[in-house]
Amino acid sequence: MVENAQSKNQLFIDIDEGKIPKRVPVYTWMDITYIMQYAGVDLRKAQWDVDKFKDMIEIGAKSFQSDINPATFTRIQPVYNILGAQNFVMSSEGQIQHPEITGMGPEDYDEMIADPYKYTHDKILPRLYKNLDTTPEEKAKVFAKAFKAHSDIFGQIFAHHDLMNEKYGLANDRVGCQTVAPFDQVADQFRSFTGISSDIRRCPDKVVAACEAVTPMMLKAGVKPHSSRQKRTFIPLHMAPYMREKDFEKFYWPTFKALIEGLWENGAAPLLFVEQDWTRYLDYLNELPAGTQMMFEYGDPKVIKEKVGKKHIVTGLYPLTLLARGTKQECIDKAKEIVDILAPGGNYIFTFDKVAINIKDANPENIIAVNEFVKEYGVY
Amino acid sequence: MNLKELTQSVGELEEEKVLEMLNNFVASNPSEEEAGKAVAACQEGMAEVGDLFEKGEYFVGDLIFAGELLTEAINVLKPVIGSGDTTKVGTIVLGTVHGDLHDIGKNIFKSMAEAAGFEVHDIGIDQPVQAFIDIVKEVKPNIVGMSGVLTLALEAMKDTVDGLKEAGLRDSVKVIIGGNPVTKEACLHIGADSFTTNAAEGVKISQGWVK
Repeated sequence: MVENAQSKNQLFIDIDEGKIPKRVPVYTWMDITYIMQYAGVDLRKAQWDVDKFKDMIEIGAKSFQSDINPATFTRIQPVYNILGAQNFVMSSEGQIQHPEITGMGPEDYDEMIADPYKYTHDKILPRLYKNLDTTPEEKAKVFAKAFKAHSDIFGQIFAHHDLMNEKYGLANDRVGCQTVAPFDQVADQFRSFTGISSDIRRCPDKVVAACEAVTPMMLKAGVKPHSSRQKRTFIPLHMAPYMREKDFEKFYWPTFKALIEGLWENGAAPLLFVEQDWTRYLDYLNELPAGTQMMFEYGDPKVIKEKVGKKHIVTGLYPLTLLARGTKQECIDKAKEIVDILAPGGNYIFTFDKVAINIKDANPENIIAVNEFVKEYGVY
Repeated sequence: MNLKELTQSVGELEEEKVLEMLNNFVASNPSEEEAGKAVAACQEGMAEVGDLFEKGEYFVGDLIFAGELLTEAINVLKPVIGSGDTTKVGTIVLGTVHGDLHDIGKNIFKSMAEAAGFEVHDIGIDQPVQAFIDIVKEVKPNIVGMSGVLTLALEAMKDTVDGLKEAGLRDSVKVIIGGNPVTKEACLHIGADSFTTNAAEGVKISQGWVK
């Protein structure tokens, strides 16, 4: 079968419409930093070099045998630099990461809950972005500059993606925007992992109210004019596996569920990165509206397929770490094992268990071999 | 003060109760020996927290809070513990390897290791090989603990162990690695002595080494 952009798009459309596609779609997802290293450029320089981003998008499009271009930009260094970001910081080797930071002290819950937009703008943003910690005039200027840079850069990225998809016959990008679970927002950007772990014991009612207060913001971030089942809202989930079930049930789940339902009601379809091991919470995930895409990191593929794979689109569970050091045959054998479990009955897209961010994460030759194998083997 | 009840309350992470018990205890003007017993009871409670984590009843968030609670408890007890040298069971050098900025797991291990009586030298995040070598030369630890969350940390851990070897320091220390990506295979590849994704287990392994 000769495949082109249209037939590859159809694979995903079939999945989204609950039909069994011609074959298992292959969706490899890489942070652009992986592709930069694959191309042999130094991360510490390349992430500043906006003009070369287009070259990286093309390398992503042509190199890895994925049905969707793996090249993904999430953390844009020039924008973080304008803002003076404290919440996203480049390491000595160039990988931008999210260190443990606190944007809000525990004494400020009431103020934040009363008006989360105002509090975020006035208090949190200047703490997370030090160049916003200045006079209102200067702050407005820094903000404007950062947003201009952000839209210019993404304007180029999206346009070039479309061009490359056409040139190399790839399916469209599957992610249209991103949001965050309300509890994760309060934890990761406001109170920190450490702070929230104490708050749920010291001031539980305020944590509940805080999650409820930020939910409309999270919903707004996750719905865009082009939102659809094929242009999904990406949500990387964080804190749930680090909590007891009774805490999850009280603090995490209610607003997360409300967010997901709200997204569907507003025409947006979620794509969850189910980080770490959610085995304890599979029954909860099954309560979400049907057709939610879930990329699982860990867990038993059989159990996951059985519990959520009938209602939702399951992806992930292929261990990226195997691709780093396994032989080609070991990698292919693993792919066969995973596909045999997850592909029957459809509702399945082949992805690895996490995004490759650094060239040390996975041997590119193994990625290519596995993707080629799945395309041939995964025919329905 | 009922020491068993104290241990149990620490284990159950009953912050208010623990602090109330300890404040009353300090107000009763205890001897240094009695204070030492209270510290030991808190440490036992911390060990219970570790056991509950291993059993899957507690999770990382609970360990973090346990660390906070223990710090608070020791602060309350400080005035009555006395200035005499507390018994040090061993010395650990601890850091997140180069390329990685994550430190939550490292910090949990640190507070649990300190609770178990180790002297911990924490050199921070994104630390180059040379920083590990320098501190090992300086404090001559029993154990070097390396932490990381990203998969790339595994190679950085290997660099660090290789660096210790080249500096002639590898045989003088035990090396333990911890964090999301560590596995038995990674441990062999890196040349560490042990690995864990469970801070409480890491402390137990460390205790085994300094017996």
